[in-house]
Amino acid sequence: MATALAPYWEFAKKAFAREATYRFEVFTEVGSLILRVYLLRCLWTALYAQNAAPLNLPLHSMITYATVALLMSLVLEIDGTRLIREKLRDGTIATDLMKPIVVPFYFFSDGVGRTLLYAVLVLPTLLCALLLVRIDVPDPARFGVFVLSFLIAYCVNFVLNFCMNSIAFWTLETFALQLIVRWVSDLLSGQIIPLTFFPGLLGRALFALPFAAIYSTPLLIYVGITPRGAWGAALAVQAIWFVIFGSAAFGIWQAASRRIVVQGG
Amino acid sequence: MLAAYAQYWRINILTMLEYRANFIMWFAFTIVYHGVALGALYVTMRQFPSMNGWTFREMFFLYSLWMTGHELHNAVFFQIVSVPDFVREGRFDRFLVRPIDTLFQVLTVPQQLLPDGLVLALTTLTIAIPVAGLHASPLLVLFVAMVVVGGALIDLGISLGVATLSFWFVRVDTLRWAVMSLEQDFTRYPISIYARGVRIVLAFVLPFAFMNYFPATFLLQKQESGLGLNPEIGLLTPAIGLGWFAISYVFWRRGLRHYQGTGS
Repeated sequence: MATALAPYWEFAKKAFAREATYRFEVFTEVGSLILRVYLLRCLWTALYAQNAAPLNLPLHSMITYATVALLMSLVLEIDGTRLIREKLRDGTIATDLMKPIVVPFYFFSDGVGRTLLYAVLVLPTLLCALLLVRIDVPDPARFGVFVLSFLIAYCVNFVLNFCMNSIAFWTLETFALQLIVRWVSDLLSGQIIPLTFFPGLLGRALFALPFAAIYSTPLLIYVGITPRGAWGAALAVQAIWFVIFGSAAFGIWQAASRRIVVQGG
Repeated sequence: MLAAYAQYWRINILTMLEYRANFIMWFAFTIVYHGVALGALYVTMRQFPSMNGWTFREMFFLYSLWMTGHELHNAVFFQIVSVPDFVREGRFDRFLVRPIDTLFQVLTVPQQLLPDGLVLALTTLTIAIPVAGLHASPLLVLFVAMVVVGGALIDLGISLGVATLSFWFVRVDTLRWAVMSLEQDFTRYPISIYARGVRIVLAFVLPFAFMNYFPATFLLQKQESGLGLNPEIGLLTPAIGLGWFAISYVFWRRGLRHYQGTGS
Protein backbone atom coordinates (compact mmCIF):
# COMPACT_ATOMS: atom_id res chain seq x y z
CA MET A 1 0.00 0.00 0.00
CA ALA A 2 2.68 2.45 1.07
CA THR A 3 4.80 1.78 -2.00
CA ALA A 4 1.74 2.13 -4.22
CA LEU A 5 1.12 5.57 -2.81
CA ALA A 6 4.74 6.69 -2.87
CA PRO A 7 4.71 8.21 -6.36
CA TYR A 8 1.63 10.33 -5.51
CA TRP A 9 3.34 11.68 -2.40
CA GLU A 10 6.25 12.68 -4.64
CA PHE A 11 3.87 14.40 -7.06
CA ALA A 12 2.42 16.42 -4.18
CA LYS A 13 5.90 17.43 -2.97
CA LYS A 14 6.89 18.49 -6.47
CA ALA A 15 3.78 20.61 -6.88
CA PHE A 16 4.47 22.27 -3.53
CA ALA A 17 8.02 23.15 -4.55
CA ARG A 18 6.90 24.38 -7.97
CA GLU A 19 4.27 26.72 -6.53
CA ALA A 20 6.66 28.01 -3.89
CA THR A 21 8.87 29.48 -6.61
CA TYR A 22 6.11 31.92 -7.56
CA ARG A 23 6.58 33.78 -4.32
CA PHE A 24 5.41 37.03 -5.76
CA GLU A 25 1.93 35.76 -6.57
CA VAL A 26 1.71 34.29 -3.14
CA PHE A 27 2.38 37.65 -1.49
CA THR A 28 -0.19 39.28 -3.74
CA GLU A 29 -2.70 36.69 -2.67
CA VAL A 30 -2.11 37.31 1.02
CA GLY A 31 -2.09 41.09 0.60
CA SER A 32 -5.36 40.96 -1.27
CA LEU A 33 -6.94 38.98 1.53
CA ILE A 34 -5.82 41.46 4.16
CA LEU A 35 -7.41 44.32 2.23
CA ARG A 36 -10.61 42.32 1.97
CA VAL A 37 -10.58 41.58 5.69
CA TYR A 38 -10.38 45.32 6.32
CA LEU A 39 -13.22 45.89 3.88
CA LEU A 40 -15.46 43.27 5.45
CA ARG A 41 -14.90 44.76 8.89
CA CYS A 42 -15.95 48.23 7.69
CA LEU A 43 -18.89 46.86 5.74
CA TRP A 44 -20.49 44.69 8.42
CA THR A 45 -19.77 47.16 11.21
CA ALA A 46 -21.61 49.87 9.25
CA LEU A 47 -24.51 47.57 8.39
CA TYR A 48 -24.97 46.30 11.95
CA ALA A 49 -24.71 49.80 13.41
CA GLN A 50 -27.86 51.04 11.69
CA ASN A 51 -30.07 48.00 11.23
CA ALA A 52 -31.60 45.33 13.43
CA ALA A 53 -29.21 42.36 13.59
CA PRO A 54 -30.50 38.96 12.42
CA LEU A 55 -31.44 36.91 15.48
CA ASN A 56 -28.94 34.08 15.18
CA LEU A 57 -26.03 36.08 13.77
CA PRO A 58 -24.70 38.99 15.86
CA LEU A 59 -21.93 41.24 14.50
CA HIS A 60 -19.03 39.27 15.97
CA SER A 61 -20.39 36.05 14.43
CA MET A 62 -20.85 37.75 11.07
CA ILE A 63 -17.27 39.06 11.08
CA THR A 64 -16.05 35.61 12.11
CA TYR A 65 -18.08 34.04 9.30
CA ALA A 66 -16.73 36.40 6.65
CA THR A 67 -13.11 36.16 7.83
CA VAL A 68 -13.08 32.37 8.07
CA ALA A 69 -14.72 32.26 4.61
CA LEU A 70 -11.83 34.33 3.22
CA LEU A 71 -9.25 32.08 4.85
CA MET A 72 -11.01 29.02 3.44
CA SER A 73 -10.99 30.60 -0.01
CA LEU A 74 -7.20 30.79 0.20
CA VAL A 75 -7.22 26.99 -0.01
CA LEU A 76 -10.41 26.32 -1.95
CA GLU A 77 -9.81 28.77 -4.77
CA ILE A 78 -6.71 26.92 -5.89
CA ASP A 79 -7.94 24.90 -8.77
CA GLY A 80 -5.95 21.69 -8.42
CA THR A 81 -7.35 20.28 -11.65
CA ARG A 82 -6.36 23.23 -13.85
CA LEU A 83 -3.56 20.91 -14.88
CA ILE A 84 -6.00 18.83 -16.94
CA ARG A 85 -6.72 21.80 -19.15
CA GLU A 86 -3.05 22.78 -19.48
CA LYS A 87 -2.00 19.24 -20.29
CA LEU A 88 -4.73 18.86 -22.86
CA ARG A 89 -3.64 22.01 -24.59
CA ASP A 90 0.04 21.14 -24.84
CA GLY A 91 -0.63 17.44 -25.41
CA THR A 92 1.46 16.09 -22.52
CA ILE A 93 -1.62 14.29 -21.22
CA ALA A 94 -0.87 11.57 -23.77
CA THR A 95 2.42 10.66 -22.08
CA ASP A 96 0.79 10.82 -18.64
CA LEU A 97 -1.71 8.22 -19.77
CA MET A 98 1.14 5.91 -20.76
CA LYS A 99 2.78 6.07 -17.33
CA PRO A 100 1.96 3.32 -14.83
CA ILE A 101 -0.09 5.66 -12.64
CA VAL A 102 -3.76 6.39 -12.09
CA VAL A 103 -3.92 9.78 -13.75
CA PRO A 104 -6.83 11.29 -11.75
CA PHE A 105 -4.90 10.43 -8.55
CA TYR A 106 -1.91 12.18 -10.04
CA PHE A 107 -4.03 15.30 -10.55
CA PHE A 108 -5.37 15.01 -7.03
CA SER A 109 -1.92 14.74 -5.47
CA ASP A 110 -0.65 17.61 -7.60
CA GLY A 111 -3.62 19.67 -6.41
CA VAL A 112 -2.98 18.72 -2.80
CA GLY A 113 0.65 19.81 -3.09
CA ARG A 114 -0.41 23.09 -4.61
CA THR A 115 -3.00 23.73 -1.93
CA LEU A 116 -0.67 22.68 0.90
CA LEU A 117 1.46 25.70 0.15
CA TYR A 118 -1.56 27.96 0.48
CA ALA A 119 -2.67 26.10 3.58
CA VAL A 120 0.68 27.03 5.11
CA LEU A 121 -0.09 30.64 4.20
CA VAL A 122 -3.35 30.59 6.14
CA LEU A 123 -1.40 31.02 9.35
CA PRO A 124 0.44 34.31 8.62
CA THR A 125 -2.70 35.63 6.93
CA LEU A 126 -4.71 34.76 9.99
CA LEU A 127 -2.22 36.56 12.23
CA CYS A 128 -2.40 39.70 10.07
CA ALA A 129 -6.18 39.45 9.95
CA LEU A 130 -6.31 39.25 13.75
CA LEU A 131 -4.81 42.74 13.87
CA LEU A 132 -7.93 43.98 12.09
CA VAL A 133 -10.74 41.79 13.38
CA ARG A 134 -11.60 39.57 16.32
CA ILE A 135 -12.60 36.01 15.43
CA ASP A 136 -14.70 33.79 17.68
CA VAL A 137 -13.08 30.47 18.55
CA PRO A 138 -15.57 27.61 18.98
CA ASP A 139 -15.20 24.85 21.55
CA PRO A 140 -12.92 21.92 20.58
CA ALA A 141 -15.77 19.57 19.58
CA ARG A 142 -17.32 22.15 17.26
CA PHE A 143 -13.91 23.05 15.83
CA GLY A 144 -13.16 19.39 15.19
CA VAL A 145 -16.42 18.94 13.29
CA PHE A 146 -15.65 22.12 11.35
CA VAL A 147 -12.26 20.73 10.28
CA LEU A 148 -13.86 17.46 9.22
CA SER A 149 -16.53 19.32 7.27
CA PHE A 150 -13.88 21.49 5.65
CA LEU A 151 -11.96 18.40 4.50
CA ILE A 152 -15.09 16.99 2.87
CA ALA A 153 -15.71 20.42 1.34
CA TYR A 154 -12.21 20.29 -0.15
CA CYS A 155 -12.98 16.94 -1.77
CA VAL A 156 -16.36 18.10 -3.09
CA ASN A 157 -14.66 21.19 -4.52
CA PHE A 158 -12.02 18.99 -6.12
CA VAL A 159 -14.45 16.67 -7.90
CA LEU A 160 -16.61 19.60 -9.03
CA ASN A 161 -13.53 21.28 -10.50
CA PHE A 162 -12.48 17.99 -12.02
CA CYS A 163 -15.81 17.70 -13.86
CA MET A 164 -15.55 21.33 -15.01
CA ASN A 165 -12.01 20.95 -16.29
CA SER A 166 -12.83 17.71 -18.01
CA ILE A 167 -15.19 19.61 -20.30
CA ALA A 168 -11.94 20.68 -21.96
CA PHE A 169 -11.73 17.17 -23.42
CA TRP A 170 -14.68 18.12 -25.63
CA THR A 171 -14.48 21.88 -26.18
CA LEU A 172 -10.85 22.83 -25.38
CA GLU A 173 -11.69 26.46 -24.51
CA THR A 174 -13.34 26.56 -21.13
CA PHE A 175 -11.65 29.40 -19.26
CA ALA A 176 -14.50 31.92 -19.49
CA LEU A 177 -17.04 29.27 -18.59
CA GLN A 178 -15.01 28.33 -15.55
CA LEU A 179 -14.77 31.90 -14.34
CA ILE A 180 -18.54 32.20 -14.71
CA VAL A 181 -19.16 29.07 -12.68
CA ARG A 182 -16.65 30.25 -10.10
CA TRP A 183 -18.33 33.66 -9.61
CA VAL A 184 -21.80 32.18 -9.44
CA SER A 185 -20.71 29.50 -7.02
CA ASP A 186 -19.02 32.11 -4.80
CA LEU A 187 -22.42 33.69 -4.33
CA LEU A 188 -24.44 30.47 -4.13
CA SER A 189 -22.03 28.61 -1.84
CA GLY A 190 -22.27 31.14 0.96
CA GLN A 191 -18.74 32.46 0.53
CA ILE A 192 -19.75 36.12 0.08
CA ILE A 193 -22.85 36.18 2.28
CA PRO A 194 -24.47 33.50 4.46
CA LEU A 195 -27.13 31.53 2.64
CA THR A 196 -29.47 32.28 5.54
CA PHE A 197 -29.77 35.83 4.14
CA PHE A 198 -31.46 34.62 0.96
CA PRO A 199 -35.25 34.89 1.18
CA GLY A 200 -37.85 32.11 1.23
CA LEU A 201 -37.88 29.53 -1.47
CA LEU A 202 -34.64 30.72 -3.05
CA GLY A 203 -32.87 30.35 0.28
CA ARG A 204 -34.13 26.81 0.74
CA ALA A 205 -33.25 25.91 -2.85
CA LEU A 206 -29.65 27.08 -2.33
CA PHE A 207 -29.22 24.75 0.63
CA ALA A 208 -30.25 21.92 -1.68
CA LEU A 209 -27.53 22.70 -4.24
CA PRO A 210 -24.05 21.14 -4.14
CA PHE A 211 -22.37 24.57 -3.78
CA ALA A 212 -23.64 24.81 -0.19
CA ALA A 213 -21.46 21.81 0.68
CA ILE A 214 -18.31 23.83 -0.10
CA TYR A 215 -18.52 26.94 2.06
CA SER A 216 -21.87 27.13 3.79
CA THR A 217 -21.87 23.82 5.66
CA PRO A 218 -18.47 24.20 7.39
CA LEU A 219 -19.06 27.90 8.10
CA LEU A 220 -22.50 27.46 9.63
CA ILE A 221 -21.04 24.76 11.86
CA TYR A 222 -18.20 27.12 12.85
CA VAL A 223 -20.38 30.08 13.84
CA GLY A 224 -22.88 27.84 15.62
CA ILE A 225 -25.97 28.28 13.45
CA THR A 226 -26.00 24.53 12.81
CA PRO A 227 -26.93 23.04 16.20
CA ARG A 228 -24.99 20.16 17.70
CA GLY A 229 -27.77 17.69 16.90
CA ALA A 230 -27.64 18.49 13.17
CA TRP A 231 -23.90 18.04 12.65
CA GLY A 232 -24.18 14.43 11.55
CA ALA A 233 -26.85 15.19 8.96
CA ALA A 234 -24.87 18.17 7.62
CA LEU A 235 -21.74 16.04 7.14
CA ALA A 236 -23.79 13.26 5.56
CA VAL A 237 -25.24 15.62 2.95
CA GLN A 238 -21.72 16.81 2.10
CA ALA A 239 -20.56 13.22 1.77
CA ILE A 240 -23.46 12.42 -0.55
CA TRP A 241 -22.47 15.30 -2.84
CA PHE A 242 -18.92 14.00 -2.84
CA VAL A 243 -20.08 10.54 -3.88
CA ILE A 244 -22.37 11.90 -6.60
CA PHE A 245 -19.80 14.18 -8.19
CA GLY A 246 -16.98 11.75 -7.53
CA SER A 247 -18.83 9.14 -9.58
CA ALA A 248 -19.61 11.73 -12.25
CA ALA A 249 -15.93 12.68 -12.41
CA PHE A 250 -15.01 9.01 -12.71
CA GLY A 251 -17.53 8.48 -15.51
CA ILE A 252 -16.38 11.57 -17.37
CA TRP A 253 -12.79 10.48 -17.01
CA GLN A 254 -13.56 7.03 -18.41
CA ALA A 255 -15.34 8.52 -21.40
CA ALA A 256 -12.76 11.24 -21.91
CA SER A 257 -9.60 9.17 -21.82
CA ARG A 258 -10.97 7.11 -24.69
CA ARG A 259 -11.55 10.27 -26.60
CA ILE A 260 -8.11 11.86 -26.52
CA VAL A 261 -7.25 13.35 -29.86
CA VAL A 262 -4.01 14.92 -30.84
CA GLN A 263 -4.40 18.59 -31.64
CA GLY A 264 -1.12 18.81 -33.46
CA GLY A 265 1.58 21.29 -32.54
CA MET B 1 -4.65 59.39 -36.94
CA LEU B 2 -8.44 59.23 -36.86
CA ALA B 3 -8.38 56.95 -39.89
CA ALA B 4 -5.88 54.69 -38.13
CA TYR B 5 -8.16 54.57 -35.10
CA ALA B 6 -11.19 53.64 -37.20
CA GLN B 7 -9.11 50.91 -38.80
CA TYR B 8 -8.16 49.62 -35.36
CA TRP B 9 -11.83 49.20 -34.41
CA ARG B 10 -12.57 47.57 -37.73
CA ILE B 11 -9.92 44.93 -37.02
CA ASN B 12 -11.28 44.39 -33.51
CA ILE B 13 -14.76 43.78 -34.81
CA LEU B 14 -13.52 41.46 -37.55
CA THR B 15 -11.58 39.47 -34.96
CA MET B 16 -14.69 39.20 -32.86
CA LEU B 17 -16.72 37.89 -35.76
CA GLU B 18 -14.06 35.27 -36.26
CA TYR B 19 -14.26 34.07 -32.66
CA ARG B 20 -17.96 34.52 -32.05
CA ALA B 21 -18.42 31.76 -29.47
CA ASN B 22 -15.50 33.06 -27.48
CA PHE B 23 -16.90 36.57 -27.54
CA ILE B 24 -20.31 35.42 -26.31
CA MET B 25 -18.63 33.54 -23.46
CA TRP B 26 -16.75 36.62 -22.34
CA PHE B 27 -19.83 38.77 -22.61
CA ALA B 28 -21.66 36.27 -20.42
CA PHE B 29 -18.76 36.48 -17.99
CA THR B 30 -19.04 40.28 -17.78
CA ILE B 31 -22.76 40.01 -17.08
CA VAL B 32 -22.22 37.38 -14.40
CA TYR B 33 -19.38 39.34 -12.77
CA HIS B 34 -21.47 42.47 -12.26
CA GLY B 35 -24.62 40.44 -11.65
CA VAL B 36 -23.00 38.60 -8.74
CA ALA B 37 -21.74 41.86 -7.23
CA LEU B 38 -25.17 43.48 -7.45
CA GLY B 39 -26.99 40.30 -6.43
CA ALA B 40 -24.91 39.96 -3.27
CA LEU B 41 -25.56 43.62 -2.48
CA TYR B 42 -29.29 43.20 -3.03
CA VAL B 43 -29.60 40.14 -0.79
CA THR B 44 -27.51 41.79 1.91
CA MET B 45 -29.56 44.96 1.86
CA ARG B 46 -32.84 43.09 2.10
CA GLN B 47 -31.58 42.06 5.51
CA PHE B 48 -29.92 45.42 6.29
CA PRO B 49 -31.85 48.18 4.48
CA SER B 50 -29.52 51.05 5.31
CA MET B 51 -25.78 51.44 4.70
CA ASN B 52 -24.79 54.67 6.43
CA GLY B 53 -28.06 56.15 5.20
CA TRP B 54 -27.88 54.73 1.66
CA THR B 55 -30.64 52.43 0.40
CA PHE B 56 -30.13 49.60 -2.09
CA ARG B 57 -31.56 51.73 -4.90
CA GLU B 58 -29.01 54.46 -4.20
CA MET B 59 -26.21 51.91 -3.90
CA PHE B 60 -27.27 50.48 -7.26
CA PHE B 61 -26.85 53.93 -8.80
CA LEU B 62 -23.49 54.34 -7.02
CA TYR B 63 -22.30 51.03 -8.49
CA SER B 64 -23.54 51.69 -12.01
CA LEU B 65 -21.88 55.11 -12.06
CA TRP B 66 -18.51 53.57 -11.21
CA MET B 67 -19.14 50.67 -13.58
CA THR B 68 -19.82 52.92 -16.57
CA GLY B 69 -16.73 55.10 -16.06
CA HIS B 70 -14.61 52.01 -15.52
CA GLU B 71 -15.99 50.15 -18.53
CA LEU B 72 -15.51 53.22 -20.72
CA HIS B 73 -11.87 53.19 -19.62
CA ASN B 74 -11.63 49.46 -20.33
CA ALA B 75 -13.15 49.84 -23.78
CA VAL B 76 -10.87 52.63 -24.94
CA PHE B 77 -7.74 52.62 -22.80
CA PHE B 78 -7.37 48.99 -21.77
CA GLN B 79 -3.99 48.41 -23.46
CA ILE B 80 -2.31 50.72 -20.92
CA VAL B 81 -2.12 47.83 -18.48
CA SER B 82 0.05 45.93 -20.97
CA VAL B 83 2.82 48.56 -20.96
CA PRO B 84 4.79 46.87 -18.15
CA ASP B 85 4.65 43.61 -20.13
CA PHE B 86 5.77 45.36 -23.34
CA VAL B 87 8.69 46.92 -21.45
CA ARG B 88 9.72 43.69 -19.78
CA GLU B 89 9.62 41.70 -22.99
CA GLY B 90 11.41 44.40 -24.98
CA ARG B 91 8.44 44.92 -27.27
CA PHE B 92 8.10 48.57 -26.26
CA ASP B 93 11.02 49.81 -28.34
CA ARG B 94 9.24 49.47 -31.64
CA PHE B 95 6.69 52.12 -30.60
CA LEU B 96 9.50 54.61 -30.19
CA VAL B 97 10.82 54.36 -33.73
CA ARG B 98 7.48 54.98 -35.45
CA PRO B 99 6.41 58.52 -36.33
CA ILE B 100 3.11 58.55 -34.37
CA ASP B 101 2.47 59.47 -30.75
CA THR B 102 3.66 56.60 -28.52
CA LEU B 103 0.59 56.58 -26.29
CA PHE B 104 -1.68 56.40 -29.32
CA GLN B 105 0.24 53.40 -30.59
CA VAL B 106 -0.01 51.64 -27.23
CA LEU B 107 -3.77 52.19 -27.14
CA THR B 108 -4.24 50.72 -30.59
CA VAL B 109 -2.36 47.45 -30.27
CA PRO B 110 -4.84 45.00 -31.79
CA GLN B 111 -6.63 43.02 -29.11
CA GLN B 112 -9.63 40.80 -28.79
CA LEU B 113 -11.65 43.30 -26.83
CA LEU B 114 -14.95 44.87 -27.64
CA PRO B 115 -16.98 47.42 -25.73
CA ASP B 116 -19.35 44.72 -24.47
CA GLY B 117 -18.77 45.82 -20.88
CA LEU B 118 -19.54 49.40 -21.83
CA VAL B 119 -22.81 48.40 -23.48
CA LEU B 120 -23.79 46.49 -20.37
CA ALA B 121 -22.77 49.40 -18.13
CA LEU B 122 -24.78 51.94 -20.10
CA THR B 123 -27.82 49.67 -19.90
CA THR B 124 -27.37 49.30 -16.16
CA LEU B 125 -26.95 53.03 -15.69
CA THR B 126 -30.08 53.75 -17.72
CA ILE B 127 -32.02 51.46 -15.41
CA ALA B 128 -30.35 52.77 -12.27
CA ILE B 129 -31.19 56.46 -12.83
CA PRO B 130 -35.00 56.10 -12.48
CA VAL B 131 -34.60 53.32 -9.89
CA ALA B 132 -32.69 55.74 -7.66
CA GLY B 133 -35.55 58.23 -8.05
CA LEU B 134 -33.72 60.63 -10.36
CA HIS B 135 -35.57 62.46 -13.11
CA ALA B 136 -33.69 62.05 -16.40
CA SER B 137 -33.72 65.68 -17.52
CA PRO B 138 -31.34 66.73 -20.33
CA LEU B 139 -29.20 68.55 -17.77
CA LEU B 140 -28.91 65.40 -15.65
CA VAL B 141 -28.02 63.26 -18.65
CA LEU B 142 -25.35 65.75 -19.67
CA PHE B 143 -23.92 65.83 -16.17
CA VAL B 144 -23.93 62.03 -15.83
CA ALA B 145 -22.19 61.75 -19.21
CA MET B 146 -19.51 64.17 -18.02
CA VAL B 147 -19.09 62.21 -14.79
CA VAL B 148 -18.65 59.02 -16.80
CA VAL B 149 -16.01 60.60 -19.04
CA GLY B 150 -14.35 62.19 -16.03
CA GLY B 151 -14.41 58.82 -14.27
CA ALA B 152 -12.79 57.11 -17.24
CA LEU B 153 -10.09 59.82 -17.25
CA ILE B 154 -9.43 59.31 -13.54
CA ASP B 155 -9.05 55.61 -14.24
CA LEU B 156 -6.78 56.38 -17.18
CA GLY B 157 -4.70 58.84 -15.15
CA ILE B 158 -4.09 56.21 -12.51
CA SER B 159 -3.37 53.32 -14.84
CA LEU B 160 -1.09 55.51 -16.96
CA GLY B 161 0.77 56.62 -13.82
CA VAL B 162 1.29 53.03 -12.71
CA ALA B 163 2.33 51.98 -16.23
CA THR B 164 4.87 54.83 -16.42
CA LEU B 165 6.53 53.62 -13.25
CA SER B 166 7.50 50.49 -15.17
CA PHE B 167 10.09 52.59 -17.06
CA TRP B 168 11.99 52.82 -13.79
CA PHE B 169 10.90 49.64 -12.00
CA VAL B 170 10.40 46.72 -14.32
CA ARG B 171 8.02 44.90 -12.00
CA VAL B 172 5.04 47.00 -11.00
CA ASP B 173 2.48 44.19 -10.80
CA THR B 174 2.06 44.44 -7.03
CA LEU B 175 1.27 48.13 -7.24
CA ARG B 176 -0.99 47.65 -10.22
CA TRP B 177 -2.82 44.93 -8.41
CA ALA B 178 -3.16 46.90 -5.14
CA VAL B 179 -4.61 49.90 -6.98
CA MET B 180 -7.00 47.68 -8.93
CA SER B 181 -8.22 45.94 -5.82
CA LEU B 182 -8.69 49.26 -4.04
CA GLU B 183 -10.77 50.46 -6.93
CA GLN B 184 -12.95 47.40 -7.57
CA ASP B 185 -13.80 46.55 -3.98
CA PHE B 186 -13.72 49.89 -2.22
CA THR B 187 -15.79 51.93 -4.69
CA ARG B 188 -18.83 49.74 -4.12
CA TYR B 189 -19.76 51.38 -0.83
CA PRO B 190 -20.08 54.95 0.45
CA ILE B 191 -16.62 56.00 1.62
CA SER B 192 -18.10 57.01 4.97
CA ILE B 193 -17.82 53.38 6.11
CA TYR B 194 -14.01 53.48 6.02
CA ALA B 195 -11.48 54.92 8.44
CA ARG B 196 -10.51 58.54 7.84
CA GLY B 197 -7.13 57.71 6.33
CA VAL B 198 -8.70 55.41 3.73
CA ARG B 199 -11.29 58.08 2.86
CA ILE B 200 -8.56 60.65 2.26
CA VAL B 201 -6.70 58.22 -0.01
CA LEU B 202 -9.87 57.51 -1.98
CA ALA B 203 -10.73 61.20 -2.29
CA PHE B 204 -7.40 62.87 -2.96
CA VAL B 205 -4.54 60.42 -3.48
CA LEU B 206 -6.22 57.93 -5.84
CA PRO B 207 -9.44 59.90 -6.40
CA PHE B 208 -11.75 56.93 -7.08
CA ALA B 209 -14.39 58.60 -4.88
CA PHE B 210 -14.82 61.16 -7.65
CA MET B 211 -15.82 58.40 -10.06
CA ASN B 212 -19.01 57.68 -8.18
CA TYR B 213 -19.29 58.63 -4.50
CA PHE B 214 -19.04 62.44 -4.74
CA PRO B 215 -21.18 62.87 -7.87
CA ALA B 216 -23.78 60.42 -6.53
CA THR B 217 -23.88 62.25 -3.20
CA PHE B 218 -24.55 65.48 -5.06
CA LEU B 219 -27.18 64.04 -7.42
CA LEU B 220 -29.05 62.13 -4.76
CA GLN B 221 -28.82 65.10 -2.39
CA LYS B 222 -27.25 62.99 0.33
CA GLN B 223 -25.44 64.42 3.25
CA GLU B 224 -21.73 64.06 2.45
CA SER B 225 -20.60 62.32 5.62
CA GLY B 226 -17.32 60.90 4.35
CA LEU B 227 -15.13 63.94 4.82
CA GLY B 228 -17.72 66.58 5.71
CA LEU B 229 -17.24 68.42 2.43
CA ASN B 230 -19.76 70.50 0.55
CA PRO B 231 -21.74 68.07 -1.68
CA GLU B 232 -21.12 70.38 -4.64
CA ILE B 233 -17.61 68.90 -4.75
CA GLY B 234 -19.28 66.19 -6.86
CA LEU B 235 -19.44 68.68 -9.72
CA LEU B 236 -15.65 68.61 -9.94
CA THR B 237 -15.37 65.07 -11.38
CA PRO B 238 -14.68 66.10 -15.01
CA ALA B 239 -12.07 68.61 -13.84
CA ILE B 240 -10.40 66.07 -11.56
CA GLY B 241 -10.38 63.60 -14.46
CA LEU B 242 -8.74 66.07 -16.83
CA GLY B 243 -6.27 67.16 -14.15
CA TRP B 244 -5.27 63.61 -13.32
CA PHE B 245 -4.85 62.70 -16.93
CA ALA B 246 -2.76 65.85 -17.60
CA ILE B 247 -0.43 65.14 -14.68
CA SER B 248 -0.06 61.49 -15.71
CA TYR B 249 0.61 62.44 -19.30
CA VAL B 250 3.43 64.81 -18.30
CA PHE B 251 4.83 62.05 -16.11
CA TRP B 252 4.50 59.59 -19.04
CA ARG B 253 6.49 61.93 -21.32
CA ARG B 254 9.22 62.16 -18.69
CA GLY B 255 9.19 58.39 -18.41
CA LEU B 256 9.60 58.05 -22.17
CA ARG B 257 12.68 60.29 -22.11
CA HIS B 258 14.11 58.21 -19.31
CA TYR B 259 13.27 54.86 -20.94
CA GLN B 260 16.27 52.74 -21.88
CA GLY B 261 14.88 49.28 -22.43
CA THR B 262 15.59 46.19 -20.38
CA GLY B 263 18.01 44.63 -22.81
CA SER B 264 15.70 41.74 -23.51
